[in-house]
Amino acid sequence: MSVRHRRRRWDPWLFLAPFLIPFTLFTLAPVGYAAYQSLFATRRVGGTFGRRTTVFAGLSQYREVLTDPEFLRSLGRVLLFGVVQIPLMLLLALLLALLLDSAVVRLKRFFRIAYFVPYGIPGVIAALMWGFLYDPRLSPVVDLLGRIGIRPDFLGADTILWSMANVVTWTYTGYNMLIIYAALQAIPADIYEAARTDGAGGTTIAWRIKVPIVRPALILTGVFSIIGTLQLFTEPQVFRAISTSVTSTYTPNLAAYSLASANNYSEAAAMSVTLALATFVLSFGFLKLSSRKARS
Amino acid sequence: MSLRTISPAPRRLLGALACLALAAAVTACGGGGGEGAAPAEQQPPAAACPKSSGKVNLTFWSWVPGVEKAVEEWNRQNPDIQVTVKTTPAGNAGTYQNMYNALKAGNAPDLGQVEFDSLASFRLQEGLTDIAACEPVKQAAGLFAPWTWSQVTFGSGGKDGVWAIPQDTGPMALYYRKDLFDKHGIAVPKTWEEYYQAARKLKSADPDAFITHFSQTDPNWFTGLLWQSGAKLFAQQGDQWSVTVDNPDSRKVADYWQKMIDEKLVATDLQGFSPALYKAWNSGDVVTWISAAWGYSTIRDNAKSTAGKWAVAPMPQWSAGEGKAGNWGGSTTAVLAGSKHPYEAAKFAMWLNSDPKSLEILNREGGLYPAATAGLDLPALKAPVDFYGGQQIFDVFAEASKGVDTAWTWGPTMVDTYRFMSDAFAGVLGGKGTLAQALQDVDGKTAESLRKQSLQVAE
Repeated sequence: MSVRHRRRRWDPWLFLAPFLIPFTLFTLAPVGYAAYQSLFATRRVGGTFGRRTTVFAGLSQYREVLTDPEFLRSLGRVLLFGVVQIPLMLLLALLLALLLDSAVVRLKRFFRIAYFVPYGIPGVIAALMWGFLYDPRLSPVVDLLGRIGIRPDFLGADTILWSMANVVTWTYTGYNMLIIYAALQAIPADIYEAARTDGAGGTTIAWRIKVPIVRPALILTGVFSIIGTLQLFTEPQVFRAISTSVTSTYTPNLAAYSLASANNYSEAAAMSVTLALATFVLSFGFLKLSSRKARS
Repeated sequence: MSLRTISPAPRRLLGALACLALAAAVTACGGGGGEGAAPAEQQPPAAACPKSSGKVNLTFWSWVPGVEKAVEEWNRQNPDIQVTVKTTPAGNAGTYQNMYNALKAGNAPDLGQVEFDSLASFRLQEGLTDIAACEPVKQAAGLFAPWTWSQVTFGSGGKDGVWAIPQDTGPMALYYRKDLFDKHGIAVPKTWEEYYQAARKLKSADPDAFITHFSQTDPNWFTGLLWQSGAKLFAQQGDQWSVTVDNPDSRKVADYWQKMIDEKLVATDLQGFSPALYKAWNSGDVVTWISAAWGYSTIRDNAKSTAGKWAVAPMPQWSAGEGKAGNWGGSTTAVLAGSKHPYEAAKFAMWLNSDPKSLEILNREGGLYPAATAGLDLPALKAPVDFYGGQQIFDVFAEASKGVDTAWTWGPTMVDTYRFMSDAFAGVLGGKGTLAQALQDVDGKTAESLRKQSLQVAE
């Protein structure tokens, strides 16, 4: 009896092992290592080209990170990006999902795939492609606009952030739409029937029934987007090669990458951990906030 | 329906996703550890450089196009020392990072291509082997352009070790569109003042044209301009470093280019080596490039429609007739720390960079402008070049090479210095501040970066 009990206790772990082992090896261990590494600093014995050692430095690297104005500016930049871009993108995704779910649209399967295709394009390729569309000397779009007297500067210091937002929106709207659309599909038809019997029209059903029901899906996509925004890396990295206004500390992730490239591993680790903590706080803060609203 | 009713599965999913995000953030900081004394990093004492017995296999990382052909030739001649070459992306495009990681992991290649400006960084990270004691290196001092030898010995003439073998250099000159200069009646500028006047003349003749582009992501280009001006960015006295990025000479250069930017005489929206720049070269919107010897193939390969229309002249001077030149780029072949066969590796590095046959291959395949003085006699470097209207352009670079200041010192964290420079320039091009202020900013941040590497910085 007791043997059987014990075995049963181990059973779930056995099934979880294929997930847990790689997760520990490739996720938890690196995270732990970075956290460990962030507590050290480089010291040299015997002058410039003497022996290099590392010593325990407590939280001093975190002090460097938190007092680095460039890092704080980069954090502010992605927050501004998120505050504007995430609501816009999710609203767009919701509208598209509602349209696809409504009875009026034809060729649903085609549109579903068409909206999703950008997500299937690797981020670097997408950024490069958009880069060509933005570049004033290469872009057919800029050229056409120029002919009617509009001279947009997509790569300037004031506009580049929103040019990136456009690429991100283009890439992820379809993906988020699909999550919301899947949630819409799961709504049983009798709810609509009941609503219609009560005299609700298409728009009323959409805003009063569909949207509240897919709320959890919206929250999920919201959290994904918050995480993605704080991790912004590909677009600024690619745009550095074509625009003169993207710095090496444009986003927090880029800043950490630049530090690591300059052999300042400890501070890079501290920066990454700080960014991860900020991501945690924001994602769970958002979850908390939205679930409290739902309850009230 | 609240989140609570559809939980807990999604909530757990969210937890896992957040963890993944964390992992992504953390791995973005790259591999590599902070521990110093891994066995692989301990350098063999400089006095010993014994031959290995038996057959030796060496590994070598390089990004010179066609380097494998030179290695094949070596392998044919040296059955006992076989070299396996791995062609990699350029150093700052990720290869240095890989080398540092491999050094930490103790499986670095025996030899690696390292640019002059990165030698100090590599030495700082204990990534190089001192090959001064290796027999094949003993007679090397006189074989290379003096300034390159000064760089690989850190200005000590060999007393403080020999840390790499010079491979190629990038003496700078002025590439210009001869046809357009002739058309607009612009004389080839001999001084920077004349270059400025040429820029103005061009602007009034063709309002859409620019004399050149100011590339924000090529801080090493701007550093080449500083090098020519006599500016010293760093000085080392004992264990004390002085950061002098902001000095009267560098300010002179900064003010000059600030004037060019302010008067819209240079294109500020073009990045170096970008398709947009190449288009502007082809269309004649950008008519000069102050660049290194290796740049001849950059123009040739990317502005094909302008064949025969370019020419090369010496770099404009701060005072007429000085004959000074900057240097942009250039590499060395370094024996990396942890190599078990420093003697054989040094022997290969010497052959690769001074044997006429190898130099010929590297020049033909990779367009390298050799650091070895013997290399300057290569037939290819004496011949007229069709793309440049049959001009013997390498004569200009040979002359420029003699005008490169030999006392130039790199900082030990050039990756950071370059980064600060291009970041600060981005601000300037975006309308915030001036280049002179940018140099001040770079100065302060570089000193800070040295401190973070636990180096002593003189106030």
